[in-house]
Amino acid sequence: MDDIRSRPTLAQLDADGAIEEALDAVAGSSRGQFLRSAALGSAALLAGLSDTVAAAPGPKRDTAILNYALAFEYLQAGFYTEAESLGTIRAMGVERERWARTLGAHERAHVRILKDVLGRRAAGKPFFDYRGVTEDPDDFTRTAVAMEDLTVALLGGQAPRVSDRSLRAAFFSLLTVEARHAAWARRIVRVEPVVSAFDAPKTLAQVDRVIRSTRFRARRPKKEGRGSPRFTG
Amino acid sequence: MREVRHPGVIESVSEGRSRRYFVAGGLLGGVALAGALTGLGRLAAAQGPSREQDERILNFMLRLEYLQSAFYAEAESQGVLDGELAEFARVVGEHERRHVARLRELLGDAAESEPELDLEEVTSTPDAFVEAAVALEDTGVSAFIGQGSNLTVEGVAAVTPLVSVEARHAAWILAIAGRDPAPAPADPAASVAGVQSALEQAGLTTSGS
Repeated sequence: MDDIRSRPTLAQLDADGAIEEALDAVAGSSRGQFLRSAALGSAALLAGLSDTVAAAPGPKRDTAILNYALAFEYLQAGFYTEAESLGTIRAMGVERERWARTLGAHERAHVRILKDVLGRRAAGKPFFDYRGVTEDPDDFTRTAVAMEDLTVALLGGQAPRVSDRSLRAAFFSLLTVEARHAAWARRIVRVEPVVSAFDAPKTLAQVDRVIRSTRFRARRPKKEGRGSPRFTG
Repeated sequence: MREVRHPGVIESVSEGRSRRYFVAGGLLGGVALAGALTGLGRLAAAQGPSREQDERILNFMLRLEYLQSAFYAEAESQGVLDGELAEFARVVGEHERRHVARLRELLGDAAESEPELDLEEVTSTPDAFVEAAVALEDTGVSAFIGQGSNLTVEGVAAVTPLVSVEARHAAWILAIAGRDPAPAPADPAASVAGVQSALEQAGLTTSGS
Protein backbone atom coordinates (compact mmCIF):
# COMPACT_ATOMS: atom_id res chain seq x y z
CA MET A 1 0.00 0.00 0.00
CA ASP A 2 3.02 2.27 0.12
CA ASP A 3 2.17 3.84 -3.22
CA ILE A 4 5.32 4.68 -5.14
CA ARG A 5 3.63 7.61 -6.90
CA SER A 6 3.22 9.30 -3.56
CA ARG A 7 6.90 9.41 -2.71
CA PRO A 8 7.84 12.62 -4.53
CA THR A 9 5.57 14.65 -2.26
CA LEU A 10 7.59 14.38 0.88
CA ALA A 11 10.82 14.55 -1.11
CA GLN A 12 9.73 17.90 -2.52
CA LEU A 13 8.82 19.20 0.88
CA ASP A 14 11.88 17.82 2.55
CA ALA A 15 14.76 18.41 0.18
CA ASP A 16 17.47 17.27 2.57
CA GLY A 17 15.62 14.12 3.54
CA ALA A 18 16.13 14.83 7.22
CA ILE A 19 12.47 15.06 8.12
CA GLU A 20 11.54 11.88 6.35
CA GLU A 21 14.37 10.05 8.03
CA ALA A 22 13.56 11.35 11.50
CA LEU A 23 9.85 10.90 11.11
CA ASP A 24 10.25 7.35 9.99
CA ALA A 25 11.71 6.76 13.40
CA VAL A 26 9.05 8.78 15.18
CA ALA A 27 5.97 7.81 13.24
CA GLY A 28 6.87 4.40 11.94
CA SER A 29 4.03 2.64 10.21
CA SER A 30 1.75 5.63 9.72
CA ARG A 31 4.12 6.99 7.10
CA GLY A 32 2.61 5.04 4.24
CA GLN A 33 -0.83 6.25 5.11
CA PHE A 34 0.32 9.84 5.24
CA LEU A 35 2.02 9.62 1.88
CA ARG A 36 -1.06 8.10 0.30
CA SER A 37 -3.34 10.78 1.64
CA ALA A 38 -1.03 13.65 0.82
CA ALA A 39 0.28 12.84 -2.60
CA LEU A 40 -2.42 12.73 -5.19
CA GLY A 41 -3.52 16.13 -6.34
CA SER A 42 -4.44 18.63 -8.93
CA ALA A 43 -5.88 21.98 -7.86
CA ALA A 44 -3.49 24.92 -7.88
CA LEU A 45 -3.43 26.96 -4.70
CA LEU A 46 -4.58 30.06 -6.53
CA ALA A 47 -5.46 29.30 -10.10
CA GLY A 48 -5.32 32.37 -12.33
CA LEU A 49 -3.12 34.41 -10.04
CA SER A 50 0.23 33.34 -11.41
CA ASP A 51 -0.03 35.64 -14.45
CA THR A 52 -0.29 38.73 -12.27
CA VAL A 53 2.43 37.48 -9.96
CA ALA A 54 4.72 37.23 -13.00
CA ALA A 55 3.95 40.82 -14.06
CA ALA A 56 6.34 43.76 -13.93
CA PRO A 57 7.30 45.17 -10.51
CA GLY A 58 4.74 47.53 -9.01
CA PRO A 59 1.57 47.76 -6.92
CA LYS A 60 -0.27 45.18 -9.01
CA ARG A 61 2.42 42.57 -8.54
CA ASP A 62 2.72 43.43 -4.85
CA THR A 63 -1.00 42.79 -4.43
CA ALA A 64 -0.75 39.47 -6.25
CA ILE A 65 2.21 38.36 -4.14
CA LEU A 66 0.50 39.36 -0.92
CA ASN A 67 -2.64 37.55 -1.98
CA TYR A 68 -0.65 34.43 -2.69
CA ALA A 69 0.93 34.74 0.77
CA LEU A 70 -2.56 35.26 2.19
CA ALA A 71 -3.81 32.07 0.54
CA PHE A 72 -0.85 30.24 2.01
CA GLU A 73 -1.52 31.63 5.48
CA TYR A 74 -5.16 30.54 5.12
CA LEU A 75 -3.87 27.07 4.28
CA GLN A 76 -1.71 27.00 7.40
CA ALA A 77 -4.22 28.64 9.73
CA GLY A 78 -6.94 26.21 8.65
CA PHE A 79 -4.60 23.29 9.15
CA TYR A 80 -3.78 24.16 12.77
CA THR A 81 -7.34 25.23 13.55
CA GLU A 82 -8.76 21.96 12.27
CA ALA A 83 -6.22 19.91 14.25
CA GLU A 84 -7.13 21.93 17.32
CA SER A 85 -10.89 21.51 16.90
CA LEU A 86 -10.54 17.77 16.26
CA GLY A 87 -8.66 17.37 19.55
CA THR A 88 -5.49 16.15 17.81
CA ILE A 89 -3.35 18.88 19.35
CA ARG A 90 -4.74 18.31 22.83
CA ALA A 91 -3.60 14.69 22.67
CA MET A 92 0.02 15.46 21.79
CA GLY A 93 1.66 16.12 25.13
CA VAL A 94 2.59 19.40 26.76
CA GLU A 95 5.57 20.46 24.65
CA ARG A 96 4.00 19.72 21.28
CA GLU A 97 0.66 21.12 22.34
CA ARG A 98 2.24 24.45 23.26
CA TRP A 99 4.12 24.46 19.96
CA ALA A 100 1.07 23.63 17.82
CA ARG A 101 -1.22 26.10 19.58
CA THR A 102 1.34 28.90 19.23
CA LEU A 103 1.82 28.24 15.54
CA GLY A 104 -1.93 28.14 14.97
CA ALA A 105 -2.40 31.46 16.74
CA HIS A 106 0.42 33.00 14.69
CA GLU A 107 -0.88 31.76 11.34
CA ARG A 108 -4.33 33.12 12.16
CA ALA A 109 -2.70 36.44 13.06
CA HIS A 110 -0.83 36.38 9.74
CA VAL A 111 -4.15 36.01 7.91
CA ARG A 112 -5.49 39.03 9.77
CA ILE A 113 -2.34 41.06 9.10
CA LEU A 114 -2.31 40.33 5.38
CA LYS A 115 -6.06 40.93 5.05
CA ASP A 116 -5.64 44.24 6.82
CA VAL A 117 -2.67 45.23 4.66
CA LEU A 118 -4.51 44.30 1.46
CA GLY A 119 -7.77 45.94 2.52
CA ARG A 120 -10.38 45.70 -0.22
CA ARG A 121 -7.87 43.96 -2.49
CA ALA A 122 -7.73 40.89 -0.26
CA ALA A 123 -8.75 37.72 -2.11
CA GLY A 124 -11.35 35.46 -0.53
CA LYS A 125 -10.56 32.45 1.59
CA PRO A 126 -9.84 29.34 -0.49
CA PHE A 127 -11.36 26.01 0.48
CA PHE A 128 -9.18 23.28 1.87
CA ASP A 129 -9.48 19.60 2.57
CA TYR A 130 -6.63 18.32 4.70
CA ARG A 131 -7.52 14.74 3.88
CA GLY A 132 -7.28 13.35 7.37
CA VAL A 133 -3.76 14.60 8.05
CA THR A 134 -5.08 16.75 10.92
CA GLU A 135 -6.53 13.72 12.69
CA ASP A 136 -3.32 11.88 13.56
CA PRO A 137 -0.66 13.53 15.76
CA ASP A 138 2.27 12.11 13.76
CA ASP A 139 0.80 12.93 10.35
CA PHE A 140 -0.12 16.36 11.64
CA THR A 141 3.35 17.02 13.04
CA ARG A 142 5.28 15.89 9.99
CA THR A 143 3.05 17.93 7.70
CA ALA A 144 3.50 20.96 9.94
CA VAL A 145 7.28 20.64 9.79
CA ALA A 146 7.23 20.41 6.00
CA MET A 147 4.72 23.25 5.67
CA GLU A 148 6.75 25.64 7.84
CA ASP A 149 9.93 25.00 5.86
CA LEU A 150 7.95 25.49 2.65
CA THR A 151 6.58 28.83 3.90
CA VAL A 152 10.12 30.05 4.58
CA ALA A 153 11.08 29.13 1.01
CA LEU A 154 7.94 30.83 -0.35
CA LEU A 155 8.30 34.11 1.55
CA GLY A 156 12.08 34.13 1.04
CA GLY A 157 11.56 33.81 -2.69
CA GLN A 158 8.97 36.59 -2.85
CA ALA A 159 10.48 39.17 -0.45
CA PRO A 160 12.86 40.59 -3.10
CA ARG A 161 9.95 40.84 -5.57
CA VAL A 162 7.86 43.12 -3.35
CA SER A 163 8.38 46.70 -4.55
CA ASP A 164 6.74 48.71 -1.78
CA ARG A 165 9.24 49.15 1.03
CA SER A 166 6.82 49.16 3.96
CA LEU A 167 5.17 46.04 2.58
CA ARG A 168 8.55 44.44 2.21
CA ALA A 169 9.33 45.21 5.86
CA ALA A 170 6.06 43.54 6.87
CA PHE A 171 6.93 40.60 4.65
CA PHE A 172 10.28 40.24 6.42
CA SER A 173 8.54 40.30 9.81
CA LEU A 174 6.41 37.35 8.73
CA LEU A 175 9.29 35.52 7.05
CA THR A 176 11.41 35.49 10.19
CA VAL A 177 8.49 34.23 12.29
CA GLU A 178 7.89 31.41 9.80
CA ALA A 179 11.60 30.61 10.05
CA ARG A 180 11.27 30.48 13.85
CA HIS A 181 8.30 28.13 13.44
CA ALA A 182 10.30 25.92 11.10
CA ALA A 183 13.29 25.68 13.44
CA TRP A 184 11.02 25.03 16.44
CA ALA A 185 9.08 22.37 14.51
CA ARG A 186 12.25 20.64 13.41
CA ARG A 187 13.60 20.59 16.95
CA ILE A 188 10.29 19.11 18.15
CA VAL A 189 10.80 16.13 15.82
CA ARG A 190 14.48 15.99 16.71
CA VAL A 191 16.05 16.96 13.42
CA GLU A 192 18.58 19.78 12.93
CA PRO A 193 16.68 23.09 13.35
CA VAL A 194 18.95 24.87 10.87
CA VAL A 195 20.30 22.71 8.07
CA SER A 196 22.24 25.32 6.15
CA ALA A 197 23.79 28.78 6.50
CA PHE A 198 21.40 29.97 3.79
CA ASP A 199 17.72 29.14 3.26
CA ALA A 200 17.08 28.32 -0.38
CA PRO A 201 14.12 30.28 -1.81
CA LYS A 202 11.47 28.61 -3.95
CA THR A 203 9.65 30.13 -6.91
CA LEU A 204 5.85 30.31 -6.88
CA ALA A 205 5.75 27.59 -9.51
CA GLN A 206 7.77 25.31 -7.23
CA VAL A 207 5.60 26.10 -4.22
CA ASP A 208 2.46 25.57 -6.24
CA ARG A 209 3.67 22.16 -7.38
CA VAL A 210 4.15 21.10 -3.79
CA ILE A 211 0.74 22.37 -2.72
CA ARG A 212 -0.87 20.70 -5.72
CA SER A 213 0.70 17.43 -4.73
CA THR A 214 -0.88 17.59 -1.28
CA ARG A 215 -4.38 18.09 -2.72
CA PHE A 216 -5.13 20.24 0.32
CA ARG A 217 -6.61 22.91 -1.93
CA ALA A 218 -10.19 21.86 -2.62
CA ARG A 219 -12.36 23.19 -5.43
CA ARG A 220 -15.39 23.77 -3.28
CA PRO A 221 -16.51 23.22 0.29
CA LYS A 222 -16.72 19.65 1.36
CA LYS A 223 -20.30 18.78 2.23
CA GLU A 224 -20.68 17.18 5.61
CA GLY A 225 -23.59 15.15 6.85
CA ARG A 226 -24.27 17.76 9.51
CA GLY A 227 -24.77 20.35 6.82
CA SER A 228 -22.21 22.64 8.35
CA PRO A 229 -18.58 23.31 7.48
CA ARG A 230 -16.13 21.00 9.18
CA PHE A 231 -14.21 23.94 10.47
CA THR A 232 -13.58 27.59 9.84
CA GLY A 233 -10.15 29.01 9.97
CA MET B 1 -2.90 49.54 -0.71
CA ARG B 2 -2.80 50.73 2.85
CA GLU B 3 0.28 51.32 4.86
CA VAL B 4 1.31 48.66 7.32
CA ARG B 5 0.55 49.73 10.83
CA HIS B 6 0.68 46.61 12.92
CA PRO B 7 2.17 46.89 16.34
CA GLY B 8 5.48 45.13 16.32
CA VAL B 9 5.83 44.97 12.57
CA ILE B 10 7.62 48.22 12.06
CA GLU B 11 8.32 49.16 15.66
CA SER B 12 11.80 49.36 16.95
CA VAL B 13 13.13 46.76 19.34
CA SER B 14 13.95 49.14 22.10
CA GLU B 15 13.22 52.74 22.70
CA GLY B 16 14.43 55.42 24.95
CA ARG B 17 17.95 56.62 24.63
CA SER B 18 18.96 59.46 22.39
CA ARG B 19 20.61 58.85 19.07
CA ARG B 20 23.58 60.97 20.02
CA TYR B 21 24.23 58.68 22.95
CA PHE B 22 24.40 55.66 20.68
CA VAL B 23 26.48 57.30 18.04
CA ALA B 24 28.87 58.15 20.86
CA GLY B 25 28.72 54.60 22.18
CA GLY B 26 29.09 52.94 18.85
CA LEU B 27 27.76 49.62 17.66
CA LEU B 28 30.85 47.80 18.81
CA GLY B 29 31.71 50.19 21.58
CA GLY B 30 35.02 49.73 23.27
CA VAL B 31 36.33 48.99 19.81
CA ALA B 32 37.85 51.76 17.77
CA LEU B 33 35.61 51.99 14.74
CA ALA B 34 35.52 55.67 13.86
CA GLY B 35 34.52 54.90 10.29
CA ALA B 36 31.70 52.71 11.50
CA LEU B 37 30.24 55.48 13.61
CA THR B 38 29.91 57.96 10.78
CA GLY B 39 28.47 55.14 8.72
CA LEU B 40 25.78 54.57 11.31
CA GLY B 41 24.79 58.22 11.22
CA ARG B 42 24.16 58.09 7.53
CA LEU B 43 22.49 54.72 7.80
CA ALA B 44 19.96 56.10 10.25
CA ALA B 45 19.08 58.83 7.77
CA ALA B 46 18.34 56.35 5.00
CA GLN B 47 16.51 57.65 1.93
CA GLY B 48 15.62 55.68 -1.18
CA PRO B 49 17.58 52.53 -2.02
CA SER B 50 20.88 52.99 -3.84
CA ARG B 51 24.11 51.11 -4.32
CA GLU B 52 25.86 53.44 -1.90
CA GLN B 53 23.23 52.87 0.73
CA ASP B 54 23.42 49.12 0.15
CA GLU B 55 27.11 49.32 0.99
CA ARG B 56 26.41 51.04 4.30
CA ILE B 57 23.65 48.62 5.22
CA LEU B 58 25.61 45.54 4.21
CA ASN B 59 28.57 46.78 6.25
CA PHE B 60 26.25 47.26 9.22
CA MET B 61 25.10 43.65 8.75
CA LEU B 62 28.72 42.58 8.35
CA ARG B 63 29.58 44.14 11.73
CA LEU B 64 26.77 42.13 13.32
CA GLU B 65 28.00 38.96 11.65
CA TYR B 66 31.58 39.68 12.79
CA LEU B 67 30.26 40.01 16.35
CA GLN B 68 28.23 36.79 16.10
CA SER B 69 31.05 34.88 14.50
CA ALA B 70 33.59 36.02 17.09
CA PHE B 71 31.15 35.23 19.90
CA TYR B 72 30.72 31.59 18.86
CA ALA B 73 34.43 31.18 18.14
CA GLU B 74 35.20 32.47 21.65
CA ALA B 75 32.56 30.17 23.17
CA GLU B 76 34.08 27.17 21.44
CA SER B 77 37.60 28.03 22.57
CA GLN B 78 36.42 28.58 26.17
CA GLY B 79 34.96 25.09 26.11
CA VAL B 80 32.37 25.51 28.87
CA LEU B 81 29.44 24.28 26.77
CA ASP B 82 28.23 20.73 26.38
CA GLY B 83 25.31 18.79 24.91
CA GLU B 84 22.88 20.63 22.67
CA LEU B 85 24.38 23.97 23.67
CA ALA B 86 27.78 22.94 22.35
CA GLU B 87 26.17 21.66 19.17
CA PHE B 88 24.30 24.95 18.79
CA ALA B 89 27.53 26.96 19.16
CA ARG B 90 29.34 24.77 16.65
CA VAL B 91 26.59 24.74 14.00
CA VAL B 92 25.61 28.39 14.35
CA GLY B 93 29.24 29.53 14.55
CA GLU B 94 29.87 27.86 11.20
CA HIS B 95 26.81 29.60 9.72
CA GLU B 96 27.94 33.00 10.97
CA ARG B 97 31.38 32.52 9.45
CA ARG B 98 29.73 31.73 6.14
CA HIS B 99 27.53 34.82 6.49
CA VAL B 100 30.64 36.93 7.04
CA ALA B 101 32.20 35.42 3.92
CA ARG B 102 29.05 36.04 1.85
CA LEU B 103 28.74 39.67 2.97
CA ARG B 104 32.46 40.31 2.36
CA GLU B 105 32.08 38.85 -1.10
CA LEU B 106 29.07 41.09 -1.81
CA LEU B 107 30.90 44.17 -0.55
CA GLY B 108 34.21 43.46 -2.24
CA ASP B 109 36.69 46.28 -1.60
CA ALA B 110 34.08 48.19 0.40
CA ALA B 111 33.97 45.52 3.12
CA GLU B 112 35.10 46.69 6.54
CA SER B 113 37.72 44.57 8.22
CA GLU B 114 37.10 42.46 11.30
CA PRO B 115 37.45 44.34 14.59
CA GLU B 116 39.13 43.05 17.73
CA LEU B 117 36.43 42.03 20.18
CA ASP B 118 36.55 41.05 23.83
CA LEU B 119 33.86 38.43 24.37
CA GLU B 120 35.39 36.45 27.21
CA GLU B 121 32.88 37.40 29.90
CA VAL B 122 29.73 36.64 27.89
CA THR B 123 31.05 33.19 27.05
CA SER B 124 32.50 32.31 30.45
CA THR B 125 29.54 30.21 31.67
CA PRO B 126 26.70 28.36 29.92
CA ASP B 127 24.15 30.77 31.43
CA ALA B 128 26.05 33.83 30.27
CA PHE B 129 26.40 32.28 26.84
CA VAL B 130 22.67 31.56 26.53
CA GLU B 131 21.69 35.08 27.59
CA ALA B 132 24.12 36.68 25.17
CA ALA B 133 23.25 34.30 22.32
CA VAL B 134 19.52 35.03 22.68
CA ALA B 135 20.20 38.77 22.57
CA LEU B 136 22.59 38.42 19.66
CA GLU B 137 20.29 36.32 17.48
CA ASP B 138 17.06 38.15 18.28
CA THR B 139 18.80 41.47 17.70
CA GLY B 140 20.23 40.21 14.42
CA VAL B 141 16.73 39.30 13.21
CA SER B 142 15.33 42.70 14.13
CA ALA B 143 18.30 44.51 12.61
CA PHE B 144 17.81 42.73 9.30
CA ILE B 145 14.07 43.48 9.30
CA GLY B 146 14.78 47.12 10.11
CA GLN B 147 17.25 47.59 7.29
CA GLY B 148 16.12 44.97 4.76
CA SER B 149 13.48 47.16 3.20
CA ASN B 150 16.02 49.96 2.60
CA LEU B 151 18.09 47.75 0.31
CA THR B 152 17.89 47.65 -3.47
CA VAL B 153 16.16 44.62 -5.01
CA GLU B 154 19.55 43.00 -5.58
CA GLY B 155 20.51 43.68 -1.97
CA VAL B 156 17.29 42.16 -0.65
CA ALA B 157 17.73 39.05 -2.78
CA ALA B 158 21.29 38.67 -1.48
CA VAL B 159 20.50 38.93 2.23
CA THR B 160 17.09 37.22 2.46
CA PRO B 161 18.47 33.64 2.55
CA LEU B 162 20.60 34.72 5.51
CA VAL B 163 17.84 36.57 7.39
CA SER B 164 15.59 33.55 7.82
CA VAL B 165 18.57 31.52 9.02
CA GLU B 166 19.20 34.10 11.75
CA ALA B 167 15.58 33.66 12.80
CA ARG B 168 16.07 29.89 12.95
CA HIS B 169 19.12 30.43 15.16
CA ALA B 170 17.06 32.67 17.44
CA ALA B 171 14.28 30.10 17.77
CA TRP B 172 16.76 27.32 18.44
CA ILE B 173 18.57 29.06 21.29
CA LEU B 174 15.27 30.23 22.81
CA ALA B 175 14.00 26.64 22.73
CA ILE B 176 17.18 25.39 24.39
CA ALA B 177 16.74 28.09 27.04
CA GLY B 178 13.18 26.88 27.69
CA ARG B 179 11.76 30.13 26.40
CA ASP B 180 9.22 30.83 23.68
CA PRO B 181 11.01 30.30 20.33
CA ALA B 182 8.51 32.50 18.48
CA PRO B 183 7.34 35.16 20.94
CA ALA B 184 5.18 37.16 18.50
CA PRO B 185 3.24 36.62 15.26
CA ALA B 186 5.35 39.31 13.58
CA ASP B 187 8.98 39.98 14.50
CA PRO B 188 9.83 43.58 15.41
CA ALA B 189 12.18 45.73 13.36
CA ALA B 190 15.03 47.49 15.12
CA SER B 191 16.54 50.85 14.32
CA VAL B 192 20.30 51.10 14.36
CA ALA B 193 20.03 52.75 17.78
CA GLY B 194 17.78 49.94 18.97
CA VAL B 195 20.33 47.37 17.86
CA GLN B 196 23.10 49.16 19.70
CA SER B 197 21.02 49.45 22.84
CA ALA B 198 20.09 45.76 22.83
CA LEU B 199 23.68 44.62 22.31
CA GLU B 200 24.92 46.94 25.01
CA GLN B 201 22.35 45.72 27.52
CA ALA B 202 23.45 42.18 26.78
CA GLY B 203 27.05 43.05 27.59
CA LEU B 204 28.09 42.38 24.01
CA THR B 205 29.22 45.93 23.45
CA THR B 206 30.07 48.75 25.80
CA SER B 207 29.40 52.45 25.61
CA GLY B 208 32.00 55.09 26.16
CA SER B 209 35.68 54.60 25.41
